Amino acid sequence: MSDSPNSIGEVVIEARDVHKTYDTGSIQVHALRGVSLQVRRGEMVAIMGPSGCGKTTLLNCLSGLDDFDGGTVLINGTDIARMADDRKTEFRAKDMGFVFQTYNLLPVLSAAENVELPLIVSGTRPKVAREMALTSLDRVNLRQYGNNRPGQLSGGQRQRVTIARALVNRPAIVWADEPTGALDSKTATEIMDLIVELNSSEHQSCVIVTHDPKVAARCHRTIRMDDGLIATELSQDQMKAEVAAGGGAH
Amino acid sequence: MQEFFGVPMNYIAGTAAAITLLILAGVAFIGVRNPVMFKMGLRNIPRRKAQTTLIVLGLMLSTVIMTAAFGTGDTMNESITSEIYTLGGEIDEIIEYNDEDFPGPEDEQVLPMSLVGELDAEFADDPDIDAFMPMGTEVLPIQNTRTRLNEGQARVVGWRNEDAAKFGGLKDLDGDVVTLQGNEIAVNEELADNINAEPGDTLLLFFEGQSQEVVVKAITPNTVLAGTFDTTSRQGGAVSLDFLSGITGQTDSVDGIMVTNKGGVKSGVEHSDAATEKLEAFLAGTPYEVDSIKADGIDEAELFASFFTTFFIIFGLFSIAAGVLLIFLIFVMLAAERKPEMGMARAVGAKRRQIVESFLAEGMGYDLGAALVGLVFGVLVVFGMVGLISYFAGDSLGVIIQVHVTPRSLLTAFCIGVIATFIVIFIASWRASRINITAAIRDLPETHPVNPESSTWLGYLRGVLNGFVAFGITVVSIVLALRFPALAPAFLLAAVTGILGPWIYALRGSNFGAPASERLIGEGHPKWPWILGAVVPVIGWFVILPGYALALLLVRLTRDRKPAGVPTWLVAVGIVVAPVGMVLAALQDRGRAIAWSVGFGTVGAVLGVIMVQWGLDANSQFLFAGGVSFVAFWVAITLRYFRIAERASFTIVSLALLAFWYITPAGLLEPIVGELEGDFEMFFLSGMVMVTAGTFIVVYNADILLPAIGALGSRFGRIVPAVKTAVAYPLTSRFRTGMTVMMIGLIMFSLIMFQTINSNFSRVFLNDDARGGWDVQALVNSNNRIGGDGDGAENQDDAFRAALEENGGDTSGITTVAEARISGFFDTEVKHAEPDTNDDGSLDEFGRAIVIGGDDAFLEGTSLAMESRAAGYATDADIYRALREESNLVIATPGMFSFEGFGDFEDIVDLGERPEEGFEPFPVTVRNPATGETTDLMLIGVLDDSADVFFLGFMTSKETLLGALPESEEQTFYLKVAEGVDADGVADTVEGSLVQASADSLDSLLDDQRRQQQGFLYLFQGFMGLGLLVGIAALGVIASRAVVERRQQIGMLRAIGYQRKMVALSFLFESSFIALSGIITGFVLAVSLSWVLFTSDNFDESASGAGFTVPWLELFIISGVAFIASLVMTYFPARSASRVPIAEALRYE
Repeated sequence: MSDSPNSIGEVVIEARDVHKTYDTGSIQVHALRGVSLQVRRGEMVAIMGPSGCGKTTLLNCLSGLDDFDGGTVLINGTDIARMADDRKTEFRAKDMGFVFQTYNLLPVLSAAENVELPLIVSGTRPKVAREMALTSLDRVNLRQYGNNRPGQLSGGQRQRVTIARALVNRPAIVWADEPTGALDSKTATEIMDLIVELNSSEHQSCVIVTHDPKVAARCHRTIRMDDGLIATELSQDQMKAEVAAGGGAH
Repeated sequence: MQEFFGVPMNYIAGTAAAITLLILAGVAFIGVRNPVMFKMGLRNIPRRKAQTTLIVLGLMLSTVIMTAAFGTGDTMNESITSEIYTLGGEIDEIIEYNDEDFPGPEDEQVLPMSLVGELDAEFADDPDIDAFMPMGTEVLPIQNTRTRLNEGQARVVGWRNEDAAKFGGLKDLDGDVVTLQGNEIAVNEELADNINAEPGDTLLLFFEGQSQEVVVKAITPNTVLAGTFDTTSRQGGAVSLDFLSGITGQTDSVDGIMVTNKGGVKSGVEHSDAATEKLEAFLAGTPYEVDSIKADGIDEAELFASFFTTFFIIFGLFSIAAGVLLIFLIFVMLAAERKPEMGMARAVGAKRRQIVESFLAEGMGYDLGAALVGLVFGVLVVFGMVGLISYFAGDSLGVIIQVHVTPRSLLTAFCIGVIATFIVIFIASWRASRINITAAIRDLPETHPVNPESSTWLGYLRGVLNGFVAFGITVVSIVLALRFPALAPAFLLAAVTGILGPWIYALRGSNFGAPASERLIGEGHPKWPWILGAVVPVIGWFVILPGYALALLLVRLTRDRKPAGVPTWLVAVGIVVAPVGMVLAALQDRGRAIAWSVGFGTVGAVLGVIMVQWGLDANSQFLFAGGVSFVAFWVAITLRYFRIAERASFTIVSLALLAFWYITPAGLLEPIVGELEGDFEMFFLSGMVMVTAGTFIVVYNADILLPAIGALGSRFGRIVPAVKTAVAYPLTSRFRTGMTVMMIGLIMFSLIMFQTINSNFSRVFLNDDARGGWDVQALVNSNNRIGGDGDGAENQDDAFRAALEENGGDTSGITTVAEARISGFFDTEVKHAEPDTNDDGSLDEFGRAIVIGGDDAFLEGTSLAMESRAAGYATDADIYRALREESNLVIATPGMFSFEGFGDFEDIVDLGERPEEGFEPFPVTVRNPATGETTDLMLIGVLDDSADVFFLGFMTSKETLLGALPESEEQTFYLKVAEGVDADGVADTVEGSLVQASADSLDSLLDDQRRQQQGFLYLFQGFMGLGLLVGIAALGVIASRAVVERRQQIGMLRAIGYQRKMVALSFLFESSFIALSGIITGFVLAVSLSWVLFTSDNFDESASGAGFTVPWLELFIISGVAFIASLVMTYFPARSASRVPIAEALRYE
């Protein structure tokens, strides 16, 4: 399986001098101090850094899950800061997919129902949504588990359901926050194989926040953050070399 | 109020205060001994202000209900008592003629004036009796010549000024003493208002057709000295005794002798027992008796107040039960919320006891706050209820009601609220402390150790054994002691032996009970039971201390000798032989899982069997049905333990229970179990059991809705996921959902049942048929009757019209005039079917009743229908014709027969079972109390239910009535008016023209009754509706908790494209699902049970054949209000869920 980019296209995500400060009442925490970056279509970018460096905050701000205090974020050329909440929500439902460390599946719904959820809330007819959900589950080899609830699945299976859900609406961008953080190394490798494979077949842009250098080494590019700023950027080869040398934790 | 359920209020208040102080002292002790955990608990209170507000609102309900119930009782008591003091003044007793033991003509039922002199001489220096006052009295028509206003029924009293002076004298409105000479009259305020009288006015008094002029000297308050004997008919006046004797011709005798005791208006009552005893001794052998009117009145006030309080508390039981569920639910949820913190505290070394203490500290904070807030709300509710009572029934109560709540009632309500809440908090805290530390820290679901005995007979028997050892022996023994009083000492001994059990469990979990390998050195056994045993008198010394000492010994001997296994047969022996069971329980491994539900369920089943046997023996529906219900739930628990189709077994058992609860009250089991009697408590029990069964059915089966919701997909695509999760989430926590469904279901059950039964009774009784075809009734003063005393065939129509026209009254609108003579309730005796047993064991052969003797026009003109006719009478017209043409025939209203429903009316005659259509005529024996003569009248018909409203009693011809009861002096005219003529206008004309008559349109009287009934209905519904607040608060608490619990999931939903409104909507749907489940459960059960009850003979025969209607509009309004209120309560948590910041929620743990 090749990890190299086969069709990197135009810029789909662009951040310019993004600032974000958390006000906890007594103290202020500068989570992002002016981050600028670009991600192109079909590109897989890893964001690494020590705990509290602002990785997840950056992902949340880029994806529109969180507001920011300064700077600009353009998704496909649209300034998301100017979008109303409803519009932003719709945008997420149709054009983005999310994968989280803790799966975040609804325990009361079956795997298929969880996967079809973004489609149904964006107005897809239930029958079509179910078909797409089953197709998506098929792509992660879980079609036969469509009627199982999350509680009846293993951790790896749950994360694959999450991936199926992230991809079901064929989004332009997939955001993943520690997608392998809760998995053992074997399952983590399987999940990363799946993400890389889907990226190469679906050509989505993919932004992955991770602590794991092996995960980062599977991405086209790795951005290292420190104290709310981008410290360095490494190419896939550089990252692989670092991993091979036994380093790269940060 | 001095007593409640027969227990002195002082004792209740004192005990409640002592227990509260003990609780507070205990909590304070925790605070001093363990300040860190105490503070940890207290600091949780202001953490979530909205949630704290909800909790306080939910917890305060029991205090509100108690305060309202006690406060209403106090108010009634105080209002009636002060009315008695105001009316009676210095009068404490009355000496009057004893007509029961010395029957005689009414004009001979008087007291000789000479008796007054004898009494004065005998009791001149008596330490208890102060003075006597002879008094004459007549009810007379009065007319004010200046205003031409009339009063047909004014009570005029006559007394001597010098006697009145000893009673404080009659005072006018300014407080000046009024003395009366010659033809002077003092009119009381009520009469002055009615005829617009002023001092100086000339009034005409009418007696037997003659009028006498009197001059108004003063206007006085409504008191006995001014003619107010009856609080519902206060109008009257006073003249000199000589003047009254002159009118009535009654010289040298009086109607009564008033007695005043030493002391003042209030303190005189203290001498009442002694004074009555002396007077009775003096009057022994004479036809005179003593009536302790003031002391008896105060006792009756007490009884009345107690009735109100009891009634409200019984109605409040649903709310209190719902409140207890809510408190438990709140603390279970709080425990879930605090789980990671508690896990952390346990991880760093906090003991279970300290976790309980921390929770108790927090709980007591809510508890005290809630009890205080509850007091304030409770008093406000009293104001509301008293306002409603005054508005709807003020006139009929005859008392001016003013809110009065005693500090003792407030203290009692506060303490009971605190105690009830504390008990529930304690149990919930104990439950919360039993957490798995790792699971708690990571906020994962609780895991249970694998139990190799699970679903086996050994495990089952072990559960039963532990259930009996823990508490079962004591409870079962106490119930058996009550059931078989002859064997009570033996059972009570067994109960005391059983007290050892709970201590074994308390010690088993402690360091003291740990085996040597786990035991920490230096920490002894818990000391608090010693302190508790020492400070609680009697029970502490003789039950707690020995029980704890024995348990310590047993645990000490067994803690290092745990066997690996116990044979099944030995466990079975332990269940039967209590001491063996105790030892086996102590020998169990500390970590062994025990099926407590099986244990307590089996104890319940044993109690159930005892109750069934008891119920059949005592003909008690409550015990029988309650016992069967216990056994049924045990069956479900047992099947569940053995994992035999849990859903099916709970559903089938619940359905079977519901069926049982329909057929039992309907009397369908009578052929098997005989006739069982139920009273008002059945209302509560049926609600509890049926709603519990209904809730099981809902929570075990609601998921069948999910495919149906999926089917909605094509039409409501976008909201389907919200609806699906709204049903699916509640069903993942059955306990929480079930509790809330049950709370709402219980309250809805009580509200709907009350409304349905009332509406149906109203429909059956207070309908237009009640008027009997008449439009106006005119009561004529018995001293001034209109027309002659003929046999009923003479034409009273002419006499009435002539009297009316003579006084300028227009008779053109009147089409029919009929006359009825009436023998009053206290002037008529009718033989019971079976003699009635008095409280003292003596038998009463005769009861009281009213007999109406209608003239021919009445019997021809009435449209009162028959419910059943005797053989030989094909139509109602045949019956009325027979009554007119033959003598000594009678018909009766349903009220004269056995009343099978709730409650009992004393004195009223009981003719036994109501006869069926075509019955053989049977004799009814009527006795004249004045002469003791009896007459047998043949009963040939039973009137329809609605006849009880205005014609309750017997109906015959005027001729028959006057033959059997010649002294039937009361005269009533019944009028029909032409179409289009206003009946109220005719009534006004009659009243304005005939000084001796008071008239009303029957329509307006019927409206008054409906209004009064509706008023009480609203009052009780409002009171019971307080409980709805509980259910709604529970929904709010659950929704708030769900927002916290599902924060991460909400973040995810928002991330993948849920709009804010969709998140809010899914929460609203979820609450709607729970609320609707409760509402529909309560609705369906209440309407169906009402139908069963109303159409069965067992509830009230009179209603059984009258069909059944559902008051849909009212029921939908009640349900709608409940539903909307629950949505409003969920709106705020739903809104906060929709505003959860996505990024923050996704990180939230």
